Amino acid sequence: MTAAVGAVRPSASRWSRIYGLGTVYAKTLRDSRLAILIVSGLVAGTFLSSAVAFGKAYSTAVSRQELQSLVNSLPPVMAGIYGNPFPGAIDTLGGAIAWKGGGSLALIAALWSVFALAGTLAGEVRRGSLEFVATTPLGMRRIAIEKLAAHVTGMAIVVVIIALCGVVSSAAFASLPGDEIPLQAAVGFALWLGVMALASGSVAFVLGPLVGRGGAAAVGGAVLLGGYFLNGYQAAVPAFAPLANLTWWGWTAHHQPLTGNPDWLSLVPVAVVAVVLFVIGIEAFARRDLGSTGRIPWPSIPRGLLGLSGPASRSLGERLPLAVGWGIGIGLFAFVLGAAAKSFGQSISQLAPDVMSVFKSIFPTIDLTGAGGFLELTFVTFGFILAGFAASTLVNGWASDETGGRLETLLSTPLSRVRWALSAGLGLFGAIAVLTALLALGVGVGSAITGGDVLTPILGTLVIGAYAAALAGIGMAVGGVISTSFAGEAVAAIVIATFMLDLLVPALSLPDWVRQVALTAHLGQPMLGTWDPFGIAACAVLAIGGLLIGAWGMARRDVAR
Amino acid sequence: MTAIIQTEKLTKSYGEHRGIVDVDLEVAETEVFGFLGPNGAGKTTTIRTILDLIRPTSGRALVFGIESTSDPVAIHRRIGYIPGEFSLYDRLTGGQTIDYFANLRGGVDRTYQQSLIERFDVDPTRKFKEYSKGNKQKIGLVIALQHRPELLILDEPTSGLDPLVQQSFYALVREASAEGRTVFLSSHILSEVERTCDRVAIIRDGLLVKVDSVEGLRDLAHHQVELRFTETVPVDAFRGLAGVSDVTVEDHILRMRVSGPITPVVQVAARYDLLDFVSREPSLEETFLAQYGDQQPTLAVPA
Repeated sequence: MTAAVGAVRPSASRWSRIYGLGTVYAKTLRDSRLAILIVSGLVAGTFLSSAVAFGKAYSTAVSRQELQSLVNSLPPVMAGIYGNPFPGAIDTLGGAIAWKGGGSLALIAALWSVFALAGTLAGEVRRGSLEFVATTPLGMRRIAIEKLAAHVTGMAIVVVIIALCGVVSSAAFASLPGDEIPLQAAVGFALWLGVMALASGSVAFVLGPLVGRGGAAAVGGAVLLGGYFLNGYQAAVPAFAPLANLTWWGWTAHHQPLTGNPDWLSLVPVAVVAVVLFVIGIEAFARRDLGSTGRIPWPSIPRGLLGLSGPASRSLGERLPLAVGWGIGIGLFAFVLGAAAKSFGQSISQLAPDVMSVFKSIFPTIDLTGAGGFLELTFVTFGFILAGFAASTLVNGWASDETGGRLETLLSTPLSRVRWALSAGLGLFGAIAVLTALLALGVGVGSAITGGDVLTPILGTLVIGAYAAALAGIGMAVGGVISTSFAGEAVAAIVIATFMLDLLVPALSLPDWVRQVALTAHLGQPMLGTWDPFGIAACAVLAIGGLLIGAWGMARRDVAR
Repeated sequence: MTAIIQTEKLTKSYGEHRGIVDVDLEVAETEVFGFLGPNGAGKTTTIRTILDLIRPTSGRALVFGIESTSDPVAIHRRIGYIPGEFSLYDRLTGGQTIDYFANLRGGVDRTYQQSLIERFDVDPTRKFKEYSKGNKQKIGLVIALQHRPELLILDEPTSGLDPLVQQSFYALVREASAEGRTVFLSSHILSEVERTCDRVAIIRDGLLVKVDSVEGLRDLAHHQVELRFTETVPVDAFRGLAGVSDVTVEDHILRMRVSGPITPVVQVAARYDLLDFVSREPSLEETFLAQYGDQQPTLAVPA
């Protein structure tokens, strides 16, 4: 018997719908629930902790005036360090949050959008599950629209939470006139965050069906971070200004609703770009062959570098493209900042003596006129975060021998589990060494343009490499003892937790020992040649100890399929 | 004869999920041993335990007389293995992948390696991720065979292969056996096991329920025959035939189960006007269920 053509599809049961199994939209939303929770938690935590910190530290009019004077005296490069080149009304609750936390909040949401939208279609193609979905009576456009709509819904939840945080902060922490954040201002800030995030994600979405998940995330991430830094430093480095104005960060730089200065119209072109790219992405997905993605042109790895001679060299060869990609990305970032240090040094030298003395009191150990000092101020924190995420992805690659189903075949050769774990781990450390070398190159060339001491910041990159190796060691220990399926995620969680510690400990006036839990608190000032021996030793112990514990764990447990 | 594989009350539990229970196996040297069972019966769990990829909850497995958990590398040095499901390096070509595994083992005869590539008709210059499922399987087979291992452990090795390549594979198994090597072949395809194996073990719900020669297994096999007549069905002409059972009639259609040779049924049917004659070899699962019904499996006594 054949079903009648055009027969009505039986509707999904209520329970199916509640569990998110009724539609592609609901299933995608269900799959995103953890990410929505994490991103909402991160942005809400950051927003509220900034509000708490401001309320506690600047509860009097005098302290507010001192803060205003200090920020006004900052050279543009310092004022833009948080991604907002034109801080205003710093002496109010909204102004302080917008200056210090606004850029970070948008960055968090936008990074999520980039990774989610790069993978929402391409990831399912890779898994093969899209073949099943695409052969249901749903059209390709509808599948793409439902998946996109689910992400937009998730972002809308984040936007609502941010708006609520604005209102709650105003009610709970406003202590002086001007601290009130009207609902309209909170909504204006939240909408800006949502539109910025979706515009960044739309780049990855449009590229996903064309170049695959990894390529789309890489390009989307580069556009996002490039725009963020160009905009943040446009006031300090005049050469950046024209480029910054090509980005949505630059377009909306004067939209500051939390300071009472909204620029609603500036959001329109960002929204238009997002919608246009989404439409192109949907059409590209609908018109192209399913699963047929191109590749971003990338030179083939010479056979000699593939590492076919043994497990350690194979592990290195397999990780090499990712390590080179991360090394070039972080190295380029360091190069730009190192080269921009010249401009910073010039503006510092023109400061009035009293302002200069304020600077000296804030940064007593830092020579602000050299590349090392500038890199220490502007690069190291981000460098640790980026190197941490690089370690996370490299650990994921290391883990893919098991999670990807190769390990079973590898271990059927005369390769013991311990030897595999040690060899693959050494290959992973080799990849981190390659990344560090490229980073050192970027730092070195950038510093050379500025002039002065080049060797010290180059050597400082070794500390960043050691930090990445330590995180990789932790990842391998988790992978070996517990499961490789979340070894990379464990590393990423440590990176995020470290970032949150840096943010929350001063904001919430937590005891200093809480901050000391973070490994980054013990790594000195590497770009200035101040190395903390305890931190370096801790990195070495974590890296080598993690490798050995991972090998021990692998020898004891079942190999997963 | 020396036992190449020996398991003694081999048990693997996955918490609440069943694994295998008290599996006792013995595979002799030069034997081609089939390991049959429906999906999820415990075939792969048994193999992975034998190879020390997972550890037994109780019992033990010996390969070449070496306990699997005591020195797995010594075992792996002498075996070739293709997993039931596997993935390899997406960025390497098929040839580079084969070379890498040859390097891990050492001492691979490159001429023989090349001959395998030619026999399986696989293009070694393409990236692994670009291969079809069948071509990926061919690469896995070359990796398992290229070092002429003493023991081949093959988990559903013909999955995804086209019939021509399957023939090449069966020929290679026969050659391996003729050269005095041992083959342990897991499958859920009855005809494949019948064609290649000397002895067969059947596993169901984690329990080994039968170990026998292929001839012994053949007694389990039967055909489901359906005859469509133009007139009244001569049911009595078939009822008494040797091997015929479960005879049913529906309108002009006669259905029966035939164990052993089908020739007597064909000869009798030829005397009547037939519209159609359909003979279908049932799946292993049907054969198995026909033999054992829904009863709980009981432990087998090796033949």
